[in-house]
Amino acid sequence: MELFASIVGGLLIGGLYVAISLGFSVAFGVLDVVDLAVGMWVVMGAYAAVVVQDWLDVDPLLLLPLYFLFFALVGAVLAPLIYRVRNNRYAMPALMGLALTFGFATIFRGSLLTGFGYTPRTVRTGLANTSWNIFGLVLPAERVAGFLTAAVLTLAFAWFLYFTRSGLAVRAVAQSKENAGLMGVDVKRTSTLIYALYTGLTAMCGAVMGAIYAMTPELGPRYTLFAFFVVVLAGLGSIWGVLVTGLLLGVLQSLVSTFWSADYTLLVVFLSLFVVLLLLPNGIGNRRSVA
Amino acid sequence: MSAPIRRRKTSSLIVLGIVALALLTMPFWAGSYNLRLATNVLLWVGLALSWNVVCGYAGYISFGHIAFFGIGAYVTAILMQPGVGWNFFATLPVGAVVAAVIALAVGFPTLRLRGAYFAIATWAMAEGVRELATVASITGGSGGLVLPVKSDDTFFYWCMLAATAGAYLVCFLLLERSRFGYKVKAVRDNEPAARAQGINANLVKNQAFILSAVIPAVLGGINAYWITFINPDSSLNTILTDQLVVMVLVGGLGHIWGPVIGGTVLYLAQQQFVVLFGDSTAYIVLVGALVVLVVLFLPDGLVSLLPGSRRLNLIRRFIRPRATTTTGSS
Repeated sequence: MELFASIVGGLLIGGLYVAISLGFSVAFGVLDVVDLAVGMWVVMGAYAAVVVQDWLDVDPLLLLPLYFLFFALVGAVLAPLIYRVRNNRYAMPALMGLALTFGFATIFRGSLLTGFGYTPRTVRTGLANTSWNIFGLVLPAERVAGFLTAAVLTLAFAWFLYFTRSGLAVRAVAQSKENAGLMGVDVKRTSTLIYALYTGLTAMCGAVMGAIYAMTPELGPRYTLFAFFVVVLAGLGSIWGVLVTGLLLGVLQSLVSTFWSADYTLLVVFLSLFVVLLLLPNGIGNRRSVA
Repeated sequence: MSAPIRRRKTSSLIVLGIVALALLTMPFWAGSYNLRLATNVLLWVGLALSWNVVCGYAGYISFGHIAFFGIGAYVTAILMQPGVGWNFFATLPVGAVVAAVIALAVGFPTLRLRGAYFAIATWAMAEGVRELATVASITGGSGGLVLPVKSDDTFFYWCMLAATAGAYLVCFLLLERSRFGYKVKAVRDNEPAARAQGINANLVKNQAFILSAVIPAVLGGINAYWITFINPDSSLNTILTDQLVVMVLVGGLGHIWGPVIGGTVLYLAQQQFVVLFGDSTAYIVLVGALVVLVVLFLPDGLVSLLPGSRRLNLIRRFIRPRATTTTGSS
């Protein structure tokens, strides 16, 4: 029974990992730069909710759309810089793109540390300390709410990708920049759009995540690693893969912390990533070469 | 064409001679504060150099380089514990070997893939090593380890100077004066073409990564003995990697003198910052902003501002397009 509860709890968290990794994966495909700040967007979303609960007298989770707007705006400002570095004339643009997002992540981390210190903060919602009893399983309400939020966001994002013209442009750019450009797609604008969507989406997930786990600015790399774990395991550009591996990560994390110790989560995640890279460099859901 | 090159060579030899003379006589005229400062500068220059090998020459970003520094520190600390009691100099090669083995284990699966995989794998490795050091009993957990005390700053200055200068010499000979250097750069600039020339790209990249992992391990061992107390926060802190990245980027990526300039300038700037504002987390913001600014506006680093460099030629070409097209050979 403990095993079953642990697996269900992990699946609920996994939903959030799916939502985060999906945006990350698509932004990677379009911009061709791995955003090392992905974990910081999660953390910053959580801290935005903390600021709201400190200053305003509302449930921080009711203002999710506000976080989306704010962080999408920040993303829209940063995206052209990433695009510019990725497409410049200097040596090693891919590497410079990585360094740039690393610089962003470092700025965010330093700002949060300066503003809020090292003390862990939690987003307090009206759902805390409530739990629902479903088929004999006691589920904390904020985890269920988090899963539902993630499911809605994931569906909305998938709808955007597959049923709108902008989504078509995004998928086209992810496949081939040159050809998409020749077909009249504004690659730069598409990149900005998808980066803004992704940052807003990730920050919203972060706000929900902050209600489930305590956040510190130091946790950014951890969530970056998680997002990367999901995307690598899934294989780049595979949405079904992201769905499966995101849930898998949640379960893995939950099992490790239930039956061993939460201290070993990163180590286990890293070792699994290592084994997968060793055996299946192209990911589980994808047979295309990524090298 | 040959006259300016010879003149440049002579002048750089003179600069090198002055620097070498200053470094070799330093313990005799510098005060103890300056000597400690110089030892730290040497440490950071060495670390930046090692990062430059994998990033600047091999073209793969490692965000976990500090793990090797920590591994070296912990190996030295563990082997010098009272129960074990090894000689200090005997522990350094052990740390280097351990770091090399771990570098191979991380590099072997990930160096075949795109740079992002390697970047995250090394980052994860650093976090994993840090977690392990925090929970394991042999490393003393979060409390850390205490080493035998040797309060002789001059001794550590000589050790650090020997290690950094040695590392520089090895890297210079391997990367700038040998076939290996050409291979590494060829793989970095165009891997398919390099493969077509018969270069074993994976082997070359792994060799470069191992070379760059061994240097911080040795420096970490020396530093651990110097500061006599290590814990995960001091030896495996991620801010140390951030600093390495910014030092090499500011100095000049893939240039042999980049780490010297970047490491020296930034370490002294950081000390100045601490003196002025105290040990503040605002420093992290500054480091991040510096990375962003350098990537955006000076991608080739401070080295590119030296006379006769590629960047300066590029700027000149902007100003006088016609004058340089006739001589533009680079």
